[in-house]
Amino acid sequence: MNDLPTDGAERPSCGEWFNAVVHTAACARRTTLGGELTTILRRNDYTLTDEQDQLVAMLRELFTEHSPVEVVRAAEPLGFDPQLWGTVQRNGLLTISIPESAGGDGGGLVELALTGFEVGRAAAPVPLLDHVVTMRALARLKADGVALPIDWESALAGDTIVSLAPISSWELGAELVPSGAVARAVLARRGDALVLMTRGTNAPQAPNDGCAPVAWWSPDDAEVQTITLLEGASVAEHWDLTHREWRIATAASLVGILAISGEIARAYAVERQAFGVRIAQFQAISHDLVDMHMDELTSRNVTLKAAWLTEHEPDFRPELAAMAMAQATRSVLRSTAAAVHVHGGMGITLEADVSLFYRKASAWSLVGGGMRRDLEEIGRAIDRRAAERAQWHQNNELVKR
Amino acid sequence: MDFSQVELTAEQQAFEKEIRDLLATSWTPNYAQIALDHDRSPREVRLAMAKRGWVHPELAPEQGGAGLGEIEQEIITSLFEEFYMAGNASNALLIPTLEQHGSAWLKEHVLPGIRTGELTTCLGYSEPDNGSDIAAAKTRAVQDGDVWVINGQKMWTTWGNESDYVFLLARTGPIEDKHRTLTMFLVPMDAPGVQATPVWILGGGHTNVTFYTDVTISDNYRIGPVNEGWSVMSTPLATEHGAGVVTEGVVPINGSMGAGFSRTFEKLIDGAIDWAASRTSPDGRSRLEDPLVRIALAEAMLDLEVCWNAEGELGKPMAAEALATNADRLADMAAPEGILAFGVDGSIAAGIIASERQHAPGSAIYGGTTEIYRNNLARRLGLPRPY
Repeated sequence: MNDLPTDGAERPSCGEWFNAVVHTAACARRTTLGGELTTILRRNDYTLTDEQDQLVAMLRELFTEHSPVEVVRAAEPLGFDPQLWGTVQRNGLLTISIPESAGGDGGGLVELALTGFEVGRAAAPVPLLDHVVTMRALARLKADGVALPIDWESALAGDTIVSLAPISSWELGAELVPSGAVARAVLARRGDALVLMTRGTNAPQAPNDGCAPVAWWSPDDAEVQTITLLEGASVAEHWDLTHREWRIATAASLVGILAISGEIARAYAVERQAFGVRIAQFQAISHDLVDMHMDELTSRNVTLKAAWLTEHEPDFRPELAAMAMAQATRSVLRSTAAAVHVHGGMGITLEADVSLFYRKASAWSLVGGGMRRDLEEIGRAIDRRAAERAQWHQNNELVKR
Repeated sequence: MDFSQVELTAEQQAFEKEIRDLLATSWTPNYAQIALDHDRSPREVRLAMAKRGWVHPELAPEQGGAGLGEIEQEIITSLFEEFYMAGNASNALLIPTLEQHGSAWLKEHVLPGIRTGELTTCLGYSEPDNGSDIAAAKTRAVQDGDVWVINGQKMWTTWGNESDYVFLLARTGPIEDKHRTLTMFLVPMDAPGVQATPVWILGGGHTNVTFYTDVTISDNYRIGPVNEGWSVMSTPLATEHGAGVVTEGVVPINGSMGAGFSRTFEKLIDGAIDWAASRTSPDGRSRLEDPLVRIALAEAMLDLEVCWNAEGELGKPMAAEALATNADRLADMAAPEGILAFGVDGSIAAGIIASERQHAPGSAIYGGTTEIYRNNLARRLGLPRPY
């Protein structure tokens, strides 16, 4: 037989049959429903531009020089180094990903993610990511004609630090705010309103093992003034995008922690001897090191993909930001624990660098509400896929059991 | 960086429609057939594809292909997937090896059919006493004048029962010399003395044990120099493992096995969604709204996205393990019906959750165990060889 059989009786398979199948892949390849079926392909290109490579090199150099672990330790327990913040300000890092129309350099979410990688690698004690994500949100509001009760130039320069309350869409009352102990203004969602909380003094830090500058912000606090910025139908969309950008930037910082803790663990395992050999020669160790590397690279790629698509096609697979955050969160928790474990007893000493990154991992990853909330958000994809499947069931005679 | 939609040219749209029509008029998808990554398309389909140069569409037309690019190749993959058709019976692993190391006779008489896909191949590496330790092969080839006489056994010769040739690893010197006395051959499966016997595996289907008894072949079937088999097989082995995936930005980055397993994983999730959508909680709401079900499905979808983002050699171990973990998770989510096979009273989603749980362990073994992958990845990370 030289060609496909066309007689149904000769069909070359078995079991129960369908007349057509619609396929929607999670990756590049998709097929649409409705009317004429057609294949839709997406590009799958993760390469950085030369400019982006240069940005990474510049950031790596800057944080290596100005934020070694000694600086990180010296900035504890608050987790904020004013001198490093000054360096960040002077080198223009705060405006890279701010639109030109708002006084920035016009970079996007990918540039913000690349910045996040390097901030995380250095565990840099500066609220750079929270501040920039919030400024991007405020810039969008400003562009929509919303009057902002802050000095824009001061905030753009980083002289006034701003942040946001990622958990505010599901928590009422007081909220633990990332960078809340150094920020003077915090963007939050209150039901159908977007509000800006401001205060004239810094909120006291809520002590935590990671020495992250988190603080409780409560609308009931006499120090806190709450101003409504926006009400109505557009609030959900505004907040959703801001929350997604925060997840992407935060995930990126966790990728940085994954990268550096993996490097530290590998270096130790290659050097440390036991039973007359280097411990990296034991597969029980080397396979853990490989798993850490897999965690790092996959978290990095999902974060970049989420950043690019959220920037360019925010309506396409909106769950990707939560996926990046969930993957980075679970990865950084298990991989920093594995990195500690590779060091044996040395790993749990406070003087070991690896334990520093272990402490940062939970403080940085869970302040937004944890992976359960990300999974809840990923539920968007379940509903979308279920709707596609329902359509498919309608179009086809499906096996029901 | 670019994840945008590809605008298909008029030619590409016509190409898509041609394959779609071919499949739609002659093939009915089998929804119960989930483990497509492990299957090969039927002979009739392969020959129809071969006739059009679509088995290896990337090759030039004069070489048996169709001179098509990455986009057309992805259209083929996508449509096979849409029609629940097993993958193209590709010889892509061996074509570069035959071009580089094959004898003039092989290049003239066998390579053309291998390029078009009219001829098929299978791999003869593992043996009953060695799997991951490939260089311990015992199957022996002894030169007798201008012929070779082969005796031995190979395991896991998947498609050995229906392939035209086996890419065979044989011992041509003292076994103590390990990888320094190995030679590769392309042995015709219809040569006297070759016998394939099925070995039934979890999830249905089979691979084969193949026996070679005084199989006598011409020296023309030798691939590469005598005792250089280790280096001859290293390229196809690395390609199979997904090392150095080269893409123009359209194909998935997770290698052929990683991508294959990810597609299977996706069908597993679809089956689980079908189950949830068909069930109602006591309060009258769909199981799709049950928070316990949503958590399980969301974690599965997250794992799937991670698999698509696992590049090169990371792709296979990541996808194989995600598949196994999620087959367990989703069988548990859909318990107790999740364990029922296709066609059984009360079974769900054509039994694909149950059947994938049976298939999944193999994904982490065939084509190289996940441990071997981790050893390779460790070496790439600059870690010392295992103790």
